[in-house]
Amino acid sequence: MNRIIKVARMQLINKWTFIGIPLLVLACSFLLTLAIWAIVRRAGAEDSVYSGGAQAPMWYFLALGIQALTLTFPFSMAMSVSRRTFYLGTVALFSVCALALSIFYYLMGLVETATSGWGVNGQFFALGWVAENNAVVQIAFYWVLMSLLFMLGFFSATLYMRWRTTGVLLFTISLAVVLLGTVAIITYGDHWPAVGQWLAAWTAGSVTLLGAGLAVVLAGASYLTLRKATA
Amino acid sequence: MSEAPAILTRALSKTYKDVRALDNVNLELPANRIYGLLGRNGAGKTTLMSILTGQNFATEGEAEIFGHTPFEHDPTLSRICFIRESQKYPDDFKASQAFKAAAIFFENWNEELAQDLVRAFNLPVKRRIKKLSRGQLSAVGVIIGMASRAEITFFDEPYLGLDAVARQIFYDRLIEDFAQFPRTIVLSSHLIDEVSNLLEHVIVIDQGRIVINAEAEELQGAAFTVTGNAQKVAQFTAGCKVLHRDALGSLASLTVQGRLSDQQRREAAELGLDLSPVSLQQLVVRSTLNAAADQNGTMEQEARK
Amino acid sequence: MIDDSKPIFLQIAELIENDIISGVLAEESQVPSTNEFAAFYRINPATAAKGINRLVDEGLLYKKRGIGMFVVQGAPEKLRQQRREHFANQFIAPLKAEAAKLGINEDELLAMIKANSPT
Repeated sequence: MNRIIKVARMQLINKWTFIGIPLLVLACSFLLTLAIWAIVRRAGAEDSVYSGGAQAPMWYFLALGIQALTLTFPFSMAMSVSRRTFYLGTVALFSVCALALSIFYYLMGLVETATSGWGVNGQFFALGWVAENNAVVQIAFYWVLMSLLFMLGFFSATLYMRWRTTGVLLFTISLAVVLLGTVAIITYGDHWPAVGQWLAAWTAGSVTLLGAGLAVVLAGASYLTLRKATA
Repeated sequence: MSEAPAILTRALSKTYKDVRALDNVNLELPANRIYGLLGRNGAGKTTLMSILTGQNFATEGEAEIFGHTPFEHDPTLSRICFIRESQKYPDDFKASQAFKAAAIFFENWNEELAQDLVRAFNLPVKRRIKKLSRGQLSAVGVIIGMASRAEITFFDEPYLGLDAVARQIFYDRLIEDFAQFPRTIVLSSHLIDEVSNLLEHVIVIDQGRIVINAEAEELQGAAFTVTGNAQKVAQFTAGCKVLHRDALGSLASLTVQGRLSDQQRREAAELGLDLSPVSLQQLVVRSTLNAAADQNGTMEQEARK
Repeated sequence: MIDDSKPIFLQIAELIENDIISGVLAEESQVPSTNEFAAFYRINPATAAKGINRLVDEGLLYKKRGIGMFVVQGAPEKLRQQRREHFANQFIAPLKAEAAKLGINEDELLAMIKANSPT
């Protein structure tokens, strides 16, 4: 347990990576959005305005997942840390950071609603579809989404660590084939309307559950792959 | 408490696709000594150290550190420090941050020693490791290895890119610190002459096989070179194991295995032959060349069958 | 100072012996510690210890608990005796061999030894 915490401390030596950059990305994206809204209002738009800018730090987590592994894993080996300990420490640290950020999103969403969309009727943190749920679902939704992206990056990086370029390439190609096959089946079977209805039925809660399931699968696969990876 | 050997391997082999990187390696090394792991580039030194430190795994056989398999075993791993020659550091790390991380993980870490070495090597700790020169990069590894004071420390070609002064600093500090805090040190090197006086025990690896595994003192003076008139040299070395032969006209130079007795010295003087000692480096070169020749010989014989 | 001709611990022992004979290390004076020898000659401390222990076994050095190693009273004399026994083998034999090679006969050799005043 002690060494797991040490791994987290190692990852935090450069505080920018796990804490500074996500906050900076979020702040920049938010300020830019506000500026755009101001311009739009000036141009005479009346309806409420939306922004997907809150996603920005989440995509950074995809990169962070890759980075946390490719850069720190070989170094953690030199620090005489087992793969298991490295894995647990890194994933645990990320989960905690992502949870903190999710709670921050929720709180900012409350502020957003209270100030009627930052005074310009905008939706940045409290997107209608998510914000209509209770606090737990909202926080869980953000948390799962961030974790899913992080694990996706982490998993591709473990593939690289274990099987190098061949592994990543094979995985990407197989994934593309599966997606293409699915699209083909839907198209030839004329199932698109049904798929549309099916997608519309998703709620934030069910997306959260599915995402959590996927994240857990990726986490498991990452661990099994990493166990035999070499620096 | 009688403890298991610091390092133990049984029939350890490692195969990469069609390359036999390690071939039936058997070692039993007691703790608190300085070992030399010598051999050419690509002989299998780094592979062996990677397996001993759980960073890699064997294809066959076993490796144990203080009686435990190091692979994924944190209690054992925490007693080891191995910075590889091509060690990667996080991209955004400065040397000072790498030391900070090392201080977190290595329980015996000595910050004073680390700082002292930073000054001795003149290392710019505030610069990103990515931007350091080869020598400075080696210095980072050396400092972590030394200051960790781990029970078993592996130095993997630690002198790469270091100038003569910096290398001497490393060797001097190593002796000094080892004298105060005895521990097991494995020094991997192909610059044998530089380190030979530091070693208590020598392991020479060639094409994945152990070709020499002996106490340093058994190897010092264990061979000599006789130079002079070819006929007289032949007479003097009759019945000896010849490691190497050079000829220049009627002049011959033979490297022979064995220790010189006073009787032999007198005899050589009477015959007008020159005797010179063989350094560990030369001995290793001769042994590895002979091992390679023997192997090729057997392969040719097998091919003929 | 240290070469490849024989095990280093033997060379260390000989170096200390030389210092005892020449008086650099006087009788009853303290000998540098193992670690000091190791650092000075850049050799493994265990090797230095082995060299020193050899001299203890030969009765040339003795140990004072908690203080260190000291030169035994009478050690220089003992060493001189030993060296004298080896002198003929080590120096005279090669000298005569070389003289013979150059065609210098015994009388000439003796004359040369007498004429060569030590500097």
